[in-house]
Amino acid sequence: MSTRTKVKGTNRARSEFIWGWMFILPTMIGLFVLNIIPIFQTIYQSFFKAGAFGKGNVFVGLDNYRRMFADASVWQALINTFKYAVVEVPFSIAIALVLAVLLNRHMRGRSLYRTIYFLPMVAAPAAVAMVWRWLYNSEFGLLNHLLNTLGFDSVNWISNPNTTFIWIAVVGIWSVIGYNMVLFLAGLQEIPQDYYEAAMIDGASAVKQFFHITIPLISPMMFFVSVTRIIAAMQVFDVIYMMMDRNNPAFFKTQSLVYLFYRYSFVESDRGYGSAIVMLLLLVIMVITVIQIRMQKKWVNYN
Amino acid sequence: MQNRKILNSIILHTVLIIGSIVMLVPFLWMVLTAFKTISESTQMNPFVIFPTQWRTDAFESVMTKMNFGRLYWNTFVLMLGRVFFAVITATLAGYAFGRLRFKGRDLMFSLVIFQMMVPVQIFIIPQYLIVSKLGMLNTSFALIFPGLVTAFGTFLLRQSYMSLPKDLEEAARLDGCNIGQTFLYVMAPLTRSAMVALGIFTALFAFKDLMWPLVVNTEQSTIPLSAALAKIQGQFSANYPELMAASLLAVIPMIIIYLFFQRQFIQGIATSGGKL
Amino acid sequence: MKLKKVMALMLTLVMVLSLAACSGGDNSNEGGTDSGASTDTTDTSSESTDSESSDTSGSSDVALTVAIWDTNQEPGLTQIINDFTEKTGIKAQIQVTPWEQYWTMLEAGATGGSLPDVFWMHSNEIARYSEYEMLLDLTERIKSSDVLDMSKFPQEIIEIYNWEGTTQYAVPKDIDTIGLWYNKTMFDEAGVAYPDDSWTWEDFRAAAEKLTKDDGSQYGLALRPSNNQAGWYNLVYGKNGYIISDDKKSSGFDLPETIEAIDFFASMSKDGLMPPYEVLAENEEHALFEAGKVAMIMQGSWMLAELCNNEYVIENADIAVLPKDAETGRRPSIYNGLGWAASGNTEYPEEAWALIEYMGSEEAQQKQSDLGIVISAYEGTMDNWTGAYPTFNLQAYLDMMDDLVIRPYSKTTVRWENMANDKMIMAWTGDKTAEEVCLEIATEMNALLAEE
Repeated sequence: MSTRTKVKGTNRARSEFIWGWMFILPTMIGLFVLNIIPIFQTIYQSFFKAGAFGKGNVFVGLDNYRRMFADASVWQALINTFKYAVVEVPFSIAIALVLAVLLNRHMRGRSLYRTIYFLPMVAAPAAVAMVWRWLYNSEFGLLNHLLNTLGFDSVNWISNPNTTFIWIAVVGIWSVIGYNMVLFLAGLQEIPQDYYEAAMIDGASAVKQFFHITIPLISPMMFFVSVTRIIAAMQVFDVIYMMMDRNNPAFFKTQSLVYLFYRYSFVESDRGYGSAIVMLLLLVIMVITVIQIRMQKKWVNYN
Repeated sequence: MQNRKILNSIILHTVLIIGSIVMLVPFLWMVLTAFKTISESTQMNPFVIFPTQWRTDAFESVMTKMNFGRLYWNTFVLMLGRVFFAVITATLAGYAFGRLRFKGRDLMFSLVIFQMMVPVQIFIIPQYLIVSKLGMLNTSFALIFPGLVTAFGTFLLRQSYMSLPKDLEEAARLDGCNIGQTFLYVMAPLTRSAMVALGIFTALFAFKDLMWPLVVNTEQSTIPLSAALAKIQGQFSANYPELMAASLLAVIPMIIIYLFFQRQFIQGIATSGGKL
Repeated sequence: MKLKKVMALMLTLVMVLSLAACSGGDNSNEGGTDSGASTDTTDTSSESTDSESSDTSGSSDVALTVAIWDTNQEPGLTQIINDFTEKTGIKAQIQVTPWEQYWTMLEAGATGGSLPDVFWMHSNEIARYSEYEMLLDLTERIKSSDVLDMSKFPQEIIEIYNWEGTTQYAVPKDIDTIGLWYNKTMFDEAGVAYPDDSWTWEDFRAAAEKLTKDDGSQYGLALRPSNNQAGWYNLVYGKNGYIISDDKKSSGFDLPETIEAIDFFASMSKDGLMPPYEVLAENEEHALFEAGKVAMIMQGSWMLAELCNNEYVIENADIAVLPKDAETGRRPSIYNGLGWAASGNTEYPEEAWALIEYMGSEEAQQKQSDLGIVISAYEGTMDNWTGAYPTFNLQAYLDMMDDLVIRPYSKTTVRWENMANDKMIMAWTGDKTAEEVCLEIATEMNALLAEE
């Protein structure tokens, strides 16, 4: 009897091995070709200076990295990206969370609101950026017109070097609120109603309930959202590409690291340098993610 | 008590309505501007909010200059291609990672996770070089290329499979199914909601992808909507009605699809986030 | 619910199909795979020495890709290409990629070995493409051509596209000059006489002062720092300064004349005669002009289609020659000329050459001017150009041809040009004086030139 099960066991193991590898093969081949190997290729590329038209790659060792460390525009871009993330992520999470809480009940128009708040997610970023750029236009834009009618001065929304990043982040927030909200709604639905009922019996106000029940219990979801949103914010490109150009006085203090990457790699064909910049980005993201994972013990509640 | 409730309700709705207006203003402005003349769009005194006449000139002009039928088609191919490959590869791999045991499984899976944490820009240049050396720039293949496999999708499907009851495979085996059959007839159908979620998620992000099509499909014949829009900023420069008309034409199809399928959309996004 | 889904799908399908049907698509010829009956099967062109070496049996299968960056020129050029197709049976399709992405697109094609068959070349980039031999060598073909007469093209333009004195990589297409656009209505309102050829730059500035309103609703001039070719370059040369030395080895930014010229415009910005820099940055000059925000702009002749077709401009504006410099009396116009080039490894070298040759022929050049697309480079073909937009004083652009200065370029033009434009911004905003900015530019530019 035992030999029978043993044979059966090895047959099973064999069959699972074969099927298992067969099933993961397409994905793994794809991952290797598309992702794993490219990571090494990019690292490799960062040690070269690319010639024009892909010819004449010259090995330059750490030159690209040295240049990068000395390059003010790279560090500024990194700071810009941080500034953007610091505005976009917390606000988009906070607002989305509040919205989710407000909508997490049976009320009239609930699905209509949900639809409306999610709508910006569905629009192509290029289109979104174009219309916001027009809204923000200091001369002809709707926003300044409204300000003027109310008696205020016009604002240079996207041409003031010190504040442009805020208003660009607003566009980011606007786009992503719906997405965060939907995730939070899903998370909220996991919270048992009994907690709230007990709290109400104890006389806790809605605000107290929010801070003492909702937030702790939804913290795993908040963690997931904040990690993913920070990673995404560090990669911001679309809005900046569409809303800013070299002429803009705010350009230097707003362009993101990925925008620099794009410019060096594809506009100036300096792929080696671009690769070095990406490496920097990878490093920064990993550090941030590790910090976040470490900190999760402090505030995230896992049951 | 009743009054308090009504007051709360009013405040609630006011806040939500104001928020909704903020969400909608850009779209409304897109629509209003698209129907104006150039002069109306830049006129300052008085500022023009509603077009005096709802002209379709901008739309006509934009549709002749850009072949929207082609753009829609290219975007559709891009989305469909990526969804197709993503769902198939992810569902196969997700099952294997989630339900089968074999040597090397965990090592491979950790590679999957690793890829998810890396910023996508790392892949762009090498992927671009591959496509370029294959001579496949400006093809549909090029558009779909980065989406042929998906680490995120694999992860999602794995979670989904893992949440299914353990005895299902036993039952299937007793009925005489091999692993492949078990997968095809028993397990996969049960993860339908995850597959749909992945499909929607992939389609949406394929639609919004900007940098890759910008880099790899520069010709009109294969360029999708997002990159085409980025280009017209240079072409139509200050012709705001035309820019807005083009933007509208670009976002409307997705909005319509969204409005019809909202439940699935929202469900899909929630699932993809929730399962993690 | 299922019905809803089906309906949604049908709706989307219907939309997609109807847009595909009713949109005009690209205005140019469809690359002919459905050629069917073609008129001529062989090239009737006159490059007799080249044997019919192409493997395509009939040119009816050939569809050349033609890349350009100016959407305004597309309709006119398409007409000319149609003529070409009628004559030779070779089809060609224009693709427009805006300037911002054009060179990236071209580079991607070059790297991947798939450049468009025929495309525009520009002095900024010709050096790179020549050095790496990405272009079709046209030297022999030009020599043996019966149609092309290179002596009819401005020598300086030919030189741009000539590599190291030996290889000709492109055939000149057009030339452009710079003119002054002014808003007649605003001039009338302020009681200022229209610009004419007696104007000096001092008159120019005085007019701008009168035309600038205190409430900020109107300014005298809009000139961006990045507008060098149609803008401040002209005054630099007007004062007998220069941007780059003739031997292309040193920068002219540190010359007192150059600094004076730049300071002229920078101070106009600082003194509020131009809209605030943020407004200039966010809006293009012609946009401000078309919106009735500024009274004068300096624009190249390539902007004709844009400006002359704008309702507001038609009603209110006209063109004049640039002012002259009071001291030197010079009224130079920077000029440049695009060239038609072909891909070095195109599948259809003979057909591509045939197209380029045709575009450089007197016939095509004449038509190019007649249609008002651009000022053709071929001598003597520009007489009808002024008739393209009769309500405007196009003659001003032709008058500027008396004193032409080729657009400053070197092997790596883009690098120092971008650098200079970026730095120039600070002169406009007043963060630095024009002198400081120019000296900085000169230092860096000399360093870049030394690397060439």
